[in-house]
Formats: sequence, C-alpha cells, structure tokens
Amino acid sequence: MTRFDYDDGDVVVVVGSGAGGGTVANELCQRGFKTVVLEAGPHLTGEDYVQDEWEAFGQMAWTDPRTTSGSWQVATDFPELPAWIVKAVGGTTTHWAGACPRFKAHELAARSTYGDIDGANLLDWPIALSELEPYYDKAEIKMGVTHRHGRPPLPANNNYKVFANGAEKVGYRYYSTGPYATNAEPYDGRPATVQDGFNFQGDKHGSKWSTLVAELPKAERTGNLDLRPDSHAAQILHDATGRATGVLYVDRNGTLRRQRAAVVCVAGNSIETPRLLLLSGSAQHPDGLANSSGQVGRNYMRHTTGTVWGQFDRPVHMYRGETMAGVIADESRLDTDRGFVGGYYMETIALGPAFLAKFVAPGKWGSQLTELLDGYRNTAGMWIVGEDMPQADNRITLNSDVTDAHQLPVADVHFDDHANDVAMRRHGQRQGAAVYQAVGSRRTIETPPYPSTHNLGTCRMSQRPRDGVVDRFGRAHDVPNLFISDGSVFTTGAAANPTLTIVALATRQAEYIATELTKTL
Amino acid sequence: MASALISARDRQTLVEVVCTAFPHSSFPRGPYERAADVVLDQAGQDPRFLAQLIQGLGELDAQRDVPFTELDTDTAAAVLRGADGTPFLTAVVDSAVVTLYSDPEVWELLGYEGPSYDKGGYVDRGFNDLDWLPEPRITHDEEASA
Ligand SMILES: Cc1cc2nc3c(=O)[nH]c(=O)nc-3n(C[C@H](O)[C@H](O)[C@H](O)COP(=O)(O)OP(=O)(O)OC[C@H]3O[C@@H](n4cnc5c(N)ncnc54)[C@H](O)[C@@H]3O)c2cc1C
Repeated sequence: MTRFDYDDGDVVVVVGSGAGGGTVANELCQRGFKTVVLEAGPHLTGEDYVQDEWEAFGQMAWTDPRTTSGSWQVATDFPELPAWIVKAVGGTTTHWAGACPRFKAHELAARSTYGDIDGANLLDWPIALSELEPYYDKAEIKMGVTHRHGRPPLPANNNYKVFANGAEKVGYRYYSTGPYATNAEPYDGRPATVQDGFNFQGDKHGSKWSTLVAELPKAERTGNLDLRPDSHAAQILHDATGRATGVLYVDRNGTLRRQRAAVVCVAGNSIETPRLLLLSGSAQHPDGLANSSGQVGRNYMRHTTGTVWGQFDRPVHMYRGETMAGVIADESRLDTDRGFVGGYYMETIALGPAFLAKFVAPGKWGSQLTELLDGYRNTAGMWIVGEDMPQADNRITLNSDVTDAHQLPVADVHFDDHANDVAMRRHGQRQGAAVYQAVGSRRTIETPPYPSTHNLGTCRMSQRPRDGVVDRFGRAHDVPNLFISDGSVFTTGAAANPTLTIVALATRQAEYIATELTKTL
Repeated sequence: MASALISARDRQTLVEVVCTAFPHSSFPRGPYERAADVVLDQAGQDPRFLAQLIQGLGELDAQRDVPFTELDTDTAAAVLRGADGTPFLTAVVDSAVVTLYSDPEVWELLGYEGPSYDKGGYVDRGFNDLDWLPEPRITHDEEASA
C-alpha cells in the first residue's frame, strides 16, 4: 500500500471517496499523479455488509450530528437526519441504486428556459450539453451503465412488471428497466447481479458500480493512491498568496495531521463540502474559504421527491431483485403547461418492512400503518425524483451550538419547499397513483420525502465569480488550486439522478487538473 | 440491561403498549415482547428515557378504572391516542417500529424473505415470478439509437 509523506507538497489531496472524490482520484492516479484520499469513514467491503436494513444503516450511514431548520417536512420527521448518505470508503455510491439518466440540454440552461421564477435563484450552467456528452460517454462506459454502449438491460423484476404494465395502460411510452449502473452480465471484472435485493446495503456481490469496487481498486493498482480511511478533514490551509497548501485532518487515533498538497479537491457531498469551506475561514477569507461571492452553502437542492405505493390483490414480492430497476421518463420532458417548470422521473423502488414501516408515515402508528404493512406481500413501489428550484436561503450554515466528536461546529441544513416543488410533487404522486390504479391497485399510498439522498448545489458553478463558487471546471473562483469535485457544483439540479453527471464532471475535471498541473510542475 | 425500577407488571404494560400501537391480528406475542425488551434495554442506558417510561406507563394505567393491560382493544387504542406526541410514547414508538419490523418472525408473517445472499440471491428464487400481468417490454425505441 502506497504512503506519501505528510510534507510531500506535490500530492493532490482529495477529501471524500464517493462518486466525485473516488472518480477524480482514480483519473489522477491513472495519469501518474500522487494522490492522497482522506475519507472520514471506515473501509468496509463486501464481506462486512449485512443484509438487514437497520443494521446496514447503522454500519454505513453518516450519523454524525447535523441539525435542520425550515418548513420542509424532513425537519419535522427527521430533525437530526436531514440527509441519508454514507460515511465510509466509497461514500454514498455504496448505498446508491444506480439510476443513470443524463441531463437534457435545456436543463443546463434553466434560467433561460424557465425564465425568472419568483423566489428561485436560477442560473444557467456555464457549460452546454455538447461539452458534457463525451464525458457522459466515458462515465457510462466506466460504470457499465445498462442500455448504453452495448450493455444489456436488466431483466424485468416483479416490481417492474407492475410498474411497466401500469405505464403502458396510462399511455406512457418511455418506460424501461434502465439505465442503471448494475451489471446484467459480467463487466469490467465484476459479476452479474444475483438479484439479491440489498443494493442499498452495500451490494455484497459487487455487481453495482461504486467507487469502492471500481475506481479505488483501479487507482490502488497504479501505485499512486494513498487511501486514508477514518481521516476527517477539519480545515483547508492556504498561504499569503491565496493558494491552498494542504489539509488538516483528524486521523483514526484522534491526532490532528497536516497533509501538504499541490492541489486540493473537495468531494464530501453537498453538506460536508460547504461545511469544510466555512470551517476553513481565515483573515484573508473571513466568510469561509472561496466564499467572496457569499454563495458557499447557498442554493442547496435535494430534488423534489416522493414515493407512491400500490397494493394489489395478488403478490408482488417487490423486494426480490434489484432495489431499483425501472424508469418512466415521460414526465421528464420539457413542458411548462403542467403547473410547474422542470420534469421528473418515476423509478421503481423496494423497501423491506423495516424501512417501509419507518418511512411510509414517519412517527405514525396505529391500525392505519399496520394495515399497510399487512399488505406488504402485495405492494409495489415507485419513487418520484424531479428538478427542484434553487433558493438562496436554502442553505448549509455552521451551527456553533452543536459540535461533532472533533469539536467542529456541525452543519445546519435549512430548506423551504418552493411552490414549484410542491406542485411537482403533487403531480408526480397523482400520476404515480394512476399508474398503479391502471393495473388494479386496491389502494395507493403516498409517502413524504425521505432524508435527502441527492444533495446538490451548495458550491455552484458559474460563469461570473459573483454568482457562484466555482468555474466551469469546478475550480474555485477565489483559490486557483482548490477544486470542488462533487454534486455541490451543480448550478441547477435537473430531473436526472445526479451521480452519472457527478462522475462525468469529475472525469472532465481530472483531465483539466492534469493539464494544468503538468504546466506548473 | 433493564432497570430494577421496571417491574414485571410494567413490562407487561409496555408489551401491551407496543401491541396497541402496532396491531396485527396475525402476530403472536413474541415479536411484541422482543420489541418491548429492546425499549427496556435502551431505557436502561438512558436515565431520561427511563424516567419518562416509568412516568408514562404509570399514567396509562391511571386512565381508566382497570389497568391498561386489561382494557379492550378499542379502549386501549383510545387511551394510547391520548398520549400521542408525548416524549414517552414517541420514544417507545420510534424504538419499537425499528425492532418489530426487523424481526424475522414478523418478516415471515408479512411475506418478506429478507437476506438472500447466502442462498444465491433471488435470481433463481422468484425475482420475476409475477404472472398475473403480461410480460412487459424492458427497452424503448429511442434507447436503441442512444
Ligand atoms: C439510498 C440511496 C440511493 C441512491 N440512488 C441513486 C441513484 O439511483 N442514482 C443516482 O444518481 N444517485 C443515487 N443516489 C445518490 C448518490 O449516492 C450521490 O449522488 C453520490 O454518491 C454523491 O457523490 P458525492 O461524491 O457528492 O458524495 P458521497 O458519495 O456521499 O461521498 C462523500 C464522501 O466524503 C466523505 N466525507 C465527507 N466529509 C468529509 C471530511 N470532512 N473528511 C473526509 N471525508 C469526508 C464522506 O464520508 C463520504 O464517504 C442515492 C443515494 C442514496 C442514499
């Protein structure tokens, strides 16, 4: 295993080993750059994972303290758990389901397309789809995305059969079992899925793409990766010229270490990334590092989400097979006549009784809840995921009243639904119910949003430095050798699940860093 | 470890609270007892929760002429409704909802087969055995060209 010296100032330090961090690290290692990855969580692997929803959650999830505020229902239902993300090597790609839609061209130009929406802080991305397309191709090939580049689709599981038949009956056309980054047949040294049903719980089999099973092992083989689990970045350091010089982190023994760096890439997911920048304030950067715009932590997005369950007279057994393996794309179209701007996808989802009981009506008990669970065997499920509006005051701030195990102030996540989000959720839940009713559901149940699984926008990309935190390559406007490599850079959220785009952007960013570094080294 | 301050009768009341909060006619008493015991273990490590539990169980017993465990189902549900939102009941429900529905006996009763990896997954065990609807297509045209 490679180890670089703490004082080796030539290394690139990457904070976080998830979708963004794991990808940028591997791409840099492949190009010969010495890379240190600091990951706050432990190094779990397939053997460690358990096929039990709560036990796996306890093992994998980020449960360090966070606080919530704002009028969103999550603040009431899960006040200490605003987001459902992982703290472990591989980040949330060990939890993720693998849905991989691309952005549509107009979604990169949301401000121009949707106009001036009251209360929304919309902005066009500084890049167009044509610039992203080659990187989407690379990302899809890297991840083995089904339905793309010759990769076969996943087979229809039971949950999909209900979903697809309903879709057909209501007149939807764009339904299919993908694209998903899970192997339907062996690919890239990883096996085909055995449909074991515990994709959210780490995927013991390794047929799902994650940075844990794909990017990091590849990076390791180059000899250029120094992966440090249980290492929590506490502060980014900079010099008088305004360049980042290294990262202070707390290692597994609780010792504060300093790793010097030529370049720092931050990919802690969209709550921890702005938290780290805000914690890195200095005399030169009084409002937090790279925050002259005041935009660090702002425009926090989480996608407009909701779940619809349909219960039938006959068995479904939705839990058998891939957790998510079906997409209806019809409602992702550009069509502002539905009472909201933006689009949404419908995607199959399956939960076990343990998560269903907790999430179907948080905090509720009594016969209404138990009747639902009595119908578990005959239940089908779908998740709705759509574009939400960035708002300046939906933001991550430091809550100095609450500190974590390292005495660092925790993140407060403030969110108010925008009227557009509410209208879209209502539409999605109505359409979802219609899909199940079309194939004879006895009842449909709507579940409010879970803690956020898609966290976006808190260090957004902008053409002009005053509108955002990073430029078109994810480089901080204020700090030339500081990059943001995760979903924080999303200028707007689009309807698509974000990870494919995070991986495409991180791949593009690594190429850019490599070119720039070669010039200066 | 359960506290010495909780009597056998308190435990029975708690089991009844869990039954009343999560009524399933198909469930035997075992899963409810196990969920109640986890509540007691947690309270054993959390003095504040334990205090609320002792107070809360006592109050439930005082709601009617007979103890909570002797109430008929509807009355018990009505009494419990009255405690909805109290820290005591919220903590009990938050704990029990996790334990009860993570119990393999409950899984079987609800028709959930749980962990499958050791059995080779569900690929040969019914992941696609639904036969009361036609086989749907799994791709759409536009995709073929993408
Ligand atoms: C249940 C679930 C299902 C999902 N399904 C899908 C899907 O189908 N499709 C899709 O596109 N997306 C899906 N997602 C979302 C997807 O997982 C995320 O978009 C993606 O992983 C985000 O990548 P990231 O690099 O921003 O952060 P992450 O992958 O979360 O990685 C961040 C890492 O940084 C570490 N870290 C944070 N702070 C520090 C610090 N200070 N020091 C050191 N390390 C730190 C964390 O521990 C973590 O490991 C799903 C998420 C969940 C929870």
